Amino acid sequence: MKTEITQEEHITVVAVTETVDALTAPDLTRTLSQEISGGHCNLVVDLTRVEFMSSAGLRTLLGAVKESRTNGGDLRIASMNPGIDKVLKMSGFYNVAKVFPSQAEALTSFSS
Amino acid sequence: MADSFRITRAAYLESLDDFREFLKNHCGGLLGVNTDLLYDVQLAVDEACTNIITHGYADMDPGSIILDLGIDSGKLTVSLTDFGHSFEPDSAPVPDVTAPAEEREPGGFGLFFIRQSVDDMKYQVTEDGNTMILTKNINPHDGGTA
Repeated sequence: MKTEITQEEHITVVAVTETVDALTAPDLTRTLSQEISGGHCNLVVDLTRVEFMSSAGLRTLLGAVKESRTNGGDLRIASMNPGIDKVLKMSGFYNVAKVFPSQAEALTSFSS
Repeated sequence: MADSFRITRAAYLESLDDFREFLKNHCGGLLGVNTDLLYDVQLAVDEACTNIITHGYADMDPGSIILDLGIDSGKLTVSLTDFGHSFEPDSAPVPDVTAPAEEREPGGFGLFFIRQSVDDMKYQVTEDGNTMILTKNINPHDGGTA
């Protein structure tokens, strides 16, 4: 798993690639937690280039959503991979966080 | 006629990638196994192996996980055998998928995902180890390959 972090005005974009499983999810947890504790509480996690994600990835995302909201921000998801979407839907993650089909739409949602 | 394949790996999280690749290599080109179906099988196996690694072999030296894959025209069968602690699949709580973030505790989706992703799941404990048998139906006339 790799992450690329960019700043789009007041929103931090964490673009994730490759695989988020029980081995790699703790790295993503640390990355997101560092961003939030560093004051970047509005985040878009871009999963559009993730090839595989298990429930370990959901655990990471749930924790980061809670942490960002506790700090007054929000974490939103960009996802268009059918496999990732299935995982998000099966777990009811659409009740947990806002999910958009693209990074651009997730970013725009913060200004509306 | 059914084909069968086997992979054995140490029960470490580093092995998860090997199991997913094994399934992709042997099932990916089959008629009726599209990307969606392959993802389902990979997800079920990944969750089952993660449970074995983190719970089955907890408090003991990590042993092995044996994955046996059976392929015939109508279904894929994956048997996962380990020699760690067994568990009771029916005693696992079903997660509330309607709950908002603040009412959720982390985890609890592994077995739920397995059940959602395959057509049948059986679990048996014998003196030869613990075996989870996952069955995924495939339709060769469904078109498309992964």
